[in-house]
Amino acid sequence: MARVAVPIFPGTNSEDETLRALVAVGLEAELVHWSRGARALRAFDAFVLPGGFAYEDRVRAGAVAAHDELTDAVIEAAQAGKFVVGICNGAQILVEAGLVPGTSGVRRPTAAFTPNSSGRFLCMHVYVRLNIDPARLPVVGALSPGAVIPMWLSHGEGRLQAAPDELARLESGGYIAFTYCDANGAGVPAPNGSALNCAALTNAEGNVIAIMPHPERDAWRFMQSESDGTASPSADAQEILRPSGGIAFFEAFARALNARPVPAR
Amino acid sequence: MAEKTFAIALTIPDNEAFTARETLRRIGIAVEDVRRSDIWTFTVDDANAAGLRSTIETIETIFNPNKHQLEERAGARPQRGEVWIEPREETRMSSVGGRTIAGVHAIRRRTAWRLVDADGNDVPVTELDRAVETFLCNPAFQKAIR
Repeated sequence: MARVAVPIFPGTNSEDETLRALVAVGLEAELVHWSRGARALRAFDAFVLPGGFAYEDRVRAGAVAAHDELTDAVIEAAQAGKFVVGICNGAQILVEAGLVPGTSGVRRPTAAFTPNSSGRFLCMHVYVRLNIDPARLPVVGALSPGAVIPMWLSHGEGRLQAAPDELARLESGGYIAFTYCDANGAGVPAPNGSALNCAALTNAEGNVIAIMPHPERDAWRFMQSESDGTASPSADAQEILRPSGGIAFFEAFARALNARPVPAR
Repeated sequence: MAEKTFAIALTIPDNEAFTARETLRRIGIAVEDVRRSDIWTFTVDDANAAGLRSTIETIETIFNPNKHQLEERAGARPQRGEVWIEPREETRMSSVGGRTIAGVHAIRRRTAWRLVDADGNDVPVTELDRAVETFLCNPAFQKAIR
């Protein structure tokens, strides 16, 4: 079975729910504390960098973690074609590490998730839509074309910014993996002012994805209780513990990962 | 109308600068000390310019006399050995910490970095450039001023 690492940097705070979502879709997943060093990561087949505030967002969100020893191993894995997912702060780290969009080389970022246009931290329920052909995005390639997934947006810095020519390249090259939409998949303005309505970026190979909203925070019905009123805290316990929409992201990741041959160890 | 620039730096240990130093060393830049300041530039009416410093000293969201030092700069340019990092987007604020300041029309914030070697000198310009290009500045949304 494929093994997934969930690396933890000082300041990461979404590792438990990320791990639960991975385990819920049948993956063997493990938290890897930064003190274990890069060598500990090399035995894994895929990586999911969770949200939080790695290194307290010092210097810039994701900038310090992007240069961490743990990230050396993640970069090495991504370059070898392994699947890498970054969620929220994990996404910021992947962008700062130059893995996405990856148009200028390692640790040479050409894009950034920057402070929201409102200047405020946003926490709200959102929907995102797969913006490219699933075949262009092997990391979650089992999703249906145009798949709509509910998630929780929870960040102060999720607005994609890049130079105009780079944005044009990202749009034409299929790097904008998910965009913000409504429950029916119709586009809506990005709540954070993100360029190209971008909720997630990928790389040229589609094995790395950096997604700003949190699918793991909409993985069970009780997590939706404030968003659509269909699963109130007083509802039947079995009902609110059922998987909800965000789990689709992890199911697609698991299917794609399990479809790959597991390398001999 | 006048433009007044102030640098606010911690007098207690600066954890962010310490973390930056560790990362710069990991990149291979020989740096003994990293000094960081917040640079605030105010566009202010002439009539309010003289009293601006004492007003800033009362805004505890940016200046706490128990842990900060406040230095008025001669102009809105980095000193020798410094690099300032600022957003590419023009982001002029009209308030600080939710507080407007009498006579102030625009406020701009930047971060100043100074890298010092083991002899107490500024690191060579080539090393400062390398620090900027590899770590201190993300050119996708920031620019460096030297």
